[in-house]
Amino acid sequence: MSSFRRILIANRGEIAVRIARACRELDIASVAVYSEADRAALHVRMADEAFAIGPAPSRESYLRIDRILEVARRSGADAVHPGYGFLAENAAFARACEEAGIVFIGPRGETIALMGEKTSARRLAVEAGVPVVPGTLAPLDDLDLLRGEAERIGLPIMIKAAAGGGGKGLRLVRDASLLAAAAERARSEALSAFGDGRVYLEKALERPHHIEIQVLADHHGHTVHVFERECSIQRRHQKVIEESPSPLVTPELRERMGALAVALAERAGYRNAGTLEFLVDAGGHPYFLEMNTRLQVEHPVTEMVTGLDLVKLQIRVAQGEPLPFAQADLRQRGHAIECRIYAEDPAQGFLPSPGRIVALRPPSGPGLRDDSGVYEGWDVPIHYDPLISKLVAWGTDRAEAIARMRRAVSEYAVLGITTTLPLFERVLRHPAFVAGDIDTGFIESHLGELLRAPSDEDRDMAVVAATVQALRDRQSARAQAPVPAGTTSAWRARGWRDLGPAR
Amino acid sequence: MIYDATVDGHTVRAEVRAGTGEGRYTVRIDGRPLEVDVRDAGPHTMSVIACGHAHEVFLEPREGGYRVLLRGRVLHVGLVEAARGAGTAPRAAGGPARVQAPMPGKLVRVLVRAGQDVGAGQGLVVMEAMKMENEIRAPRAGRVKEAPVQEGQAVETGALLVLLE
Repeated sequence: MSSFRRILIANRGEIAVRIARACRELDIASVAVYSEADRAALHVRMADEAFAIGPAPSRESYLRIDRILEVARRSGADAVHPGYGFLAENAAFARACEEAGIVFIGPRGETIALMGEKTSARRLAVEAGVPVVPGTLAPLDDLDLLRGEAERIGLPIMIKAAAGGGGKGLRLVRDASLLAAAAERARSEALSAFGDGRVYLEKALERPHHIEIQVLADHHGHTVHVFERECSIQRRHQKVIEESPSPLVTPELRERMGALAVALAERAGYRNAGTLEFLVDAGGHPYFLEMNTRLQVEHPVTEMVTGLDLVKLQIRVAQGEPLPFAQADLRQRGHAIECRIYAEDPAQGFLPSPGRIVALRPPSGPGLRDDSGVYEGWDVPIHYDPLISKLVAWGTDRAEAIARMRRAVSEYAVLGITTTLPLFERVLRHPAFVAGDIDTGFIESHLGELLRAPSDEDRDMAVVAATVQALRDRQSARAQAPVPAGTTSAWRARGWRDLGPAR
Repeated sequence: MIYDATVDGHTVRAEVRAGTGEGRYTVRIDGRPLEVDVRDAGPHTMSVIACGHAHEVFLEPREGGYRVLLRGRVLHVGLVEAARGAGTAPRAAGGPARVQAPMPGKLVRVLVRAGQDVGAGQGLVVMEAMKMENEIRAPRAGRVKEAPVQEGQAVETGALLVLLE
């Protein structure tokens, strides 16, 4: 057992910031890597050391195993934390670290390969006696074969990337005539995201809950589960709101799913933190979906209800320390909810909205945590995932957590780009959400209500603010002539601060 | 100043006038007077008190108006000076529709060509941005007059993708 002195963080954005914070608390030096687009990024500012690894496109920087390992050698890092995304579930990267004598903070390369290929994970689950969603147990290359299998399983059906994750390379097909086009889109997206275009099929369950179990395993044969996270609120098959405990899960179901998760993790020879995703149907039956062999985006939800620091535990386990607790020591306390704040426009089908954050005021006060990767004045680049921050609220029960999150969202101001924040304001008030009546189709089926027209009072206040500002802008423009014509151009030219009060 | 203010497709006549005292304004919305007290509260931020009700307002200039943030709710206010007339009156329905890039990105596929008839909601091009493929769809039915883009091409926000007639 040896303590790390220096950890290279092979990631960017909020998760790189999160890992740098854990390193600082453990008194371990953190080494950031950055692309040309990220020289001024928050994760570089938060690290102890920082090295450039290439141009903006991730294929030429954050996915370059050779350059990242070169930085690891040059900086004298004894371990690498991959975060999530990028190389986090790349078995070749984990193996390359092992061969270079650098500890990969995560499972062994062979485990990543086993569980990362979604169909081999499904086969392993079947062997371990864990129920899986009906579908194919091997990838399908041939379109005719795909058609035949789709017919056998029955529509609606999900086409999924064998190497997949994060909602990429995923398509729902309800109509047989759209199968070929959807398969092509899934293949192309999977090839671009994972360098592997193979797909397989799964039956699409009706109104399922997406519930996952966090597991932790040390190098000494101890595996525990750290309860569930409910991840049913999604858009484009990506999670946007997560919570723990799940409003659906009874103590019996929790115990059963926890036992299934531990059984499968042990069968896979799993080490470090991992997550087993399940779909749970309306009858409360869990089906194993896939395993994420890394830290999850939504890990703070579990941290808030258990008091654990999963990133520090990952580092300690990777150092060879045994888990400092047994299953019986773990408790869920209260309720936590996370909202993923994306630079996306919900009113335009969640199209990305990159650009400069001209003003930023995160919320504060009791029971909140804001894991952000951005700052005021930062340009959200087009090259990467549009997640800018994760807002987490804790309460003694679900009602208090929701009330706190509503309050937090009302305080959170992001200007310059469009975000998913206003959508959360609506979701958190929706009677079905408040009642815990949620499934993976929630946003899609309620989108009309979630984008409803503003109230008369809001409309009046918006008109008041806009016209007063237009008047003041005009008066200061006149006072500081010459300026270009038009009400907004003087603002752009001079900025708000320079404009004095109305005279 | 008198403006035609449009929020979410709903237009009102708004007259704004400075009152006596620091930050005092009167805004008449379709004739209804509102007395307000407005203070700067940081960049893009104002504190507004109207009839004893306190409001925190964030606002930023957007093309032809402002984007306003009220306790987590977002509203877009389009402003046209009433005296100058309808400079940005909505185009007559049935005119050509410009389908523009809603974000910067790369064109992965162009699904239509000039002369082709398309239905409302039909996919026109597929753009990749922020690691996701996004299908840009037709806002209404029509014939493709122009599709001046190529697969693999990088485009900026607002670039013309397809012109429908």
